[in-house]
Amino acid sequence: MMKNRLMDLLKNVSAYTVICLYSIFAIFPLIWLVIISFKSDTQMYNTTFIFTPTLDNYKIVLFEGADYIQAFINNIIVSGGAVLLSLLVGVPAAYAFARYNFAKKEDLAFTILSFKFAPEILVILPLFMIYQKIGLYDTYFGLIWVYQLITLPLLIWVLRGYFEEISVEVEQAANLDGYPWYSVFWKILVPLIKPGLVASSLLAFIFAWNSFTFPLLLSGFQIETVTVAALRYIGSDTVHYGQMAVAAAVAALPEVVLALIIQKHLVRGLSFGAVKG
Amino acid sequence: MAKIELYNITKKFGNITALDNINFEVQDKEFFVLFGPAGAGKTTILKTIAGIEFPDKGEVRINDKNVNMVEPAKRDISMVFENYALYPHLTVYDNIASPMRSPLHKQDEETVKKEVHRVASMMKIDHLLDRLPSQVSNGQRQRTALGRCLVRDPNVFLMDEPIAHLDAKLRHFMRAELKEMQSEFDTTTIYVTHDYMEALSLGDRIAIINEGKILQIGTGDEVYLTPANEFVAKFMGEPEINIFDIELEDETQVKMLGQERSYTIEEDVAEVIKEGEHKNIRIGLRGNDIAFSFNKENEEYIKGQVYSVEPIGNKTILVVDVNGQLLRLIAPNDLQANIDDEIFVRIKMKKAMFFDGDDYKYIYRHNQNELLGVE
Amino acid sequence: MAKLLLKNLYKRYENKKRKKGEALNAFAVNNFSLECEDGEFIGILGPSGCGKTTTLRMIAGLEDITDGEIIIGDTVVNNVAPHNRGIGLAFEDYALYPPLTVYENIAFNLRAKHVKNEIIKAEINRIAPLLKVDDLLHMKPGKLSGGQKQRVNIARAIVRKPQLLLLDEPMSHLDGKMRQVLRTEIKRLHNEIMCTTIIVTHDQLEAMSLVDKLAIMKDGELQQYGTPFEVYDNPVNEFVAGFIGEPPMNILTVEVQKKESSFFFKFQDANILIPVPQRFYSVVQDGMLVRLGVRPTDVLIVGEDSKGSDVSISVFENLGEERKISFRVGEGFLTLITSDDKRYKQGDIVKLEVKSEKTHLFDVKTGEKIIAQ
Repeated sequence: MMKNRLMDLLKNVSAYTVICLYSIFAIFPLIWLVIISFKSDTQMYNTTFIFTPTLDNYKIVLFEGADYIQAFINNIIVSGGAVLLSLLVGVPAAYAFARYNFAKKEDLAFTILSFKFAPEILVILPLFMIYQKIGLYDTYFGLIWVYQLITLPLLIWVLRGYFEEISVEVEQAANLDGYPWYSVFWKILVPLIKPGLVASSLLAFIFAWNSFTFPLLLSGFQIETVTVAALRYIGSDTVHYGQMAVAAAVAALPEVVLALIIQKHLVRGLSFGAVKG
Repeated sequence: MAKIELYNITKKFGNITALDNINFEVQDKEFFVLFGPAGAGKTTILKTIAGIEFPDKGEVRINDKNVNMVEPAKRDISMVFENYALYPHLTVYDNIASPMRSPLHKQDEETVKKEVHRVASMMKIDHLLDRLPSQVSNGQRQRTALGRCLVRDPNVFLMDEPIAHLDAKLRHFMRAELKEMQSEFDTTTIYVTHDYMEALSLGDRIAIINEGKILQIGTGDEVYLTPANEFVAKFMGEPEINIFDIELEDETQVKMLGQERSYTIEEDVAEVIKEGEHKNIRIGLRGNDIAFSFNKENEEYIKGQVYSVEPIGNKTILVVDVNGQLLRLIAPNDLQANIDDEIFVRIKMKKAMFFDGDDYKYIYRHNQNELLGVE
Repeated sequence: MAKLLLKNLYKRYENKKRKKGEALNAFAVNNFSLECEDGEFIGILGPSGCGKTTTLRMIAGLEDITDGEIIIGDTVVNNVAPHNRGIGLAFEDYALYPPLTVYENIAFNLRAKHVKNEIIKAEINRIAPLLKVDDLLHMKPGKLSGGQKQRVNIARAIVRKPQLLLLDEPMSHLDGKMRQVLRTEIKRLHNEIMCTTIIVTHDQLEAMSLVDKLAIMKDGELQQYGTPFEVYDNPVNEFVAGFIGEPPMNILTVEVQKKESSFFFKFQDANILIPVPQRFYSVVQDGMLVRLGVRPTDVLIVGEDSKGSDVSISVFENLGEERKISFRVGEGFLTLITSDDKRYKQGDIVKLEVKSEKTHLFDVKTGEKIIAQ
């Protein structure tokens, strides 16, 4: 009996040690970031944990230059817009991929997925020139459009799996029960794909939010996103690490909040659909 | 209440012909069974009638009206799917209530409640109404699906293997229940099954389908006693019917099973064979149509060996090897016999069916018209 | 070839996530004992989850034993590795090696034991005709039908001359006709090689038709062990009675009623009276509820002038060779099977009698058989 208990204790202790080590490893960069955001530029290089915390960085970033707030709003608009557009296009597309047989179906599906393969830098130059020519450069719609490269493939592939998992007969049964197709969609299909819908849209939102290359090159000063705006704190002579840290921390905030809220659904929602997708 | 007609329905999936020129007519209030092996095209026919599959050629008519261009919802059809097709996110109650809440068949919630409870108690699932389909057993799911189908009063009920996935005990019970309910339905029903007992038990008429073609349409007696061809004969009944070649010596004498002596076929049969100018004849005998004995009772008995003895409860399936031809016959369950024992069998010519050896089509059997009650 | 003895076998799957104080998992196999003579064909039969496959896997050595002993021949094999137990095993999924021909598939185990080529050839030539796979030897498994694959699978199991042949639901993937044919073949095969064989199945027809003795399991416990006929004719409890036989036995709750000096069974919610057989007089009393079991073949429709009860037919089913007639009794049916050619209609009134010597009584609570004195 005693021996057993000792073994159990040892097991627990070692398990917790491992978990602790891992969490330090995982969270430390974030803590570092937060610490830096409270440091003044003068203390930046000569202190580690002990310093005089200051809110100056926050004041400067959030209130003194109105640009950062604007960038934040811009980011919400373009990322949110991108996800909405993807939903509008992606849900029917995913449905079609799951239900209909048409020529070159798999090739097309793969092409859409392959949008995600190519490094953004590869396509950005021609896009930049085209955008300049047709007047999409530095507009909301321009960014929303190019973000489809990020959000659409994800949405389509996850949702396709979900649609495939629902048997056709369920739709047909609803149809025979007397529901027109749009009611079948809203009353039967949407509730069933909801986990996938929520998870993939949020993930798509986060990817779009984090996007850097596209907004850097395809927008100028009108539509600046947070990722690009953070660059501004690198001056020609100095780097304002504190302000940059603030910008980064604030930019990460919505993601952290979202991820916490939907953590459970995110894993389930994606793995469920991914089985077949 | 409706009459359903199918004219020359043909349907292809890629290169495969799923339905090949299907024609039939189901009368108002008739219980019509589509019977055939897996992949025969039974479900495709149902879906064509429902309007969720489209025929490449042909016409579906409900009450003399062509409905090819009518949407499934507007055909006023109620269907049970083989995989139940329940709405996974809705409770058993809401599943059954679903047809009565649709824009087309809207009822007030009061009626919905009453009807759901009526059907649920009929299906014996009234204690499960607030569960989700994933929380009930397969049998209960199937009954939920049946309930959702029966809750309405449509033109026609389409049922795709509604009790196939139940265990044997429940299946026997549900079959009797369905049969008892039949008189209450008072609605045209088309029922798909691969179980010959369900087909015989339930169907006013049965259509036997194989590889997208209808082989025979008839009452239970017709298809069982006078199957259109060997396939139908083999598909109906267990153990499988014994069919083997016989040699015509003259008009009434035949030789069979490697025996020296000849056997006499019934006169009416001989006449039909002669008229039809059939050259090669095969004979079909069900398990009960061969007598057996361990002694050579008389000249008619043919010697063989016991190949296998398989008791199955209320009877025993006895497999006898007669000169290399295996015959399966039904024996009482207290039969004592060992493998390779000597045994004698007698062919009951009066019960035999005759088939053409070239196209395997049915020819005739003794007293056919009396058997079928035809004047 | 050897006899097999299972002594008080137990199996419990450890619940890895069990919290303190939480009960242990129930036994998957609970005090299972079985004696199987040399050359016998034994069936283990039960609904899914009854522990039959676990038992088989324990015999094969694929599963640890929680308690008890397994003896093959004269050796306790509890700690013998599976490949040394001299067992041939054929699972329900054929698991043939796809790149190898049928011949090589059958030879595979012998090759692993470095048996000489000539001997392998001789063995395969002996086994292949028994299972009618001699024409398939050069083919690859991909081209075979389900029935053929299962034959090859069984051939592979018996080619190494096992002491014990174990078959796990060998026919569950096959369609009705293939099943019927393979059933006959397996029966013949056993008669030919006389190898002690155990088959696990949930299909009672399959079990009854093949085996010498039948062990019926439920919830890990042995219910009854006997010849198919014994089990069919004299079930020890309501479970066995209901599980064996198709169509299933009628088992209905009835009330015992005393009229003058005779006892009758009165069906609930139905106007059917059946005299209690004399042999049960010592165990019944007025007003007692019992479960009455009677096979559909032992309920008869009798002539006008006999004593039986008048009952209205609820369901008449013409099933070709037989006719099944059911009478509503409360929630259920009293069903009979007859080969009589007469056709009835729903609502027809007939007189019913029950073969009194073929009735079984079960306790309403425990389901155990009530034995007549």
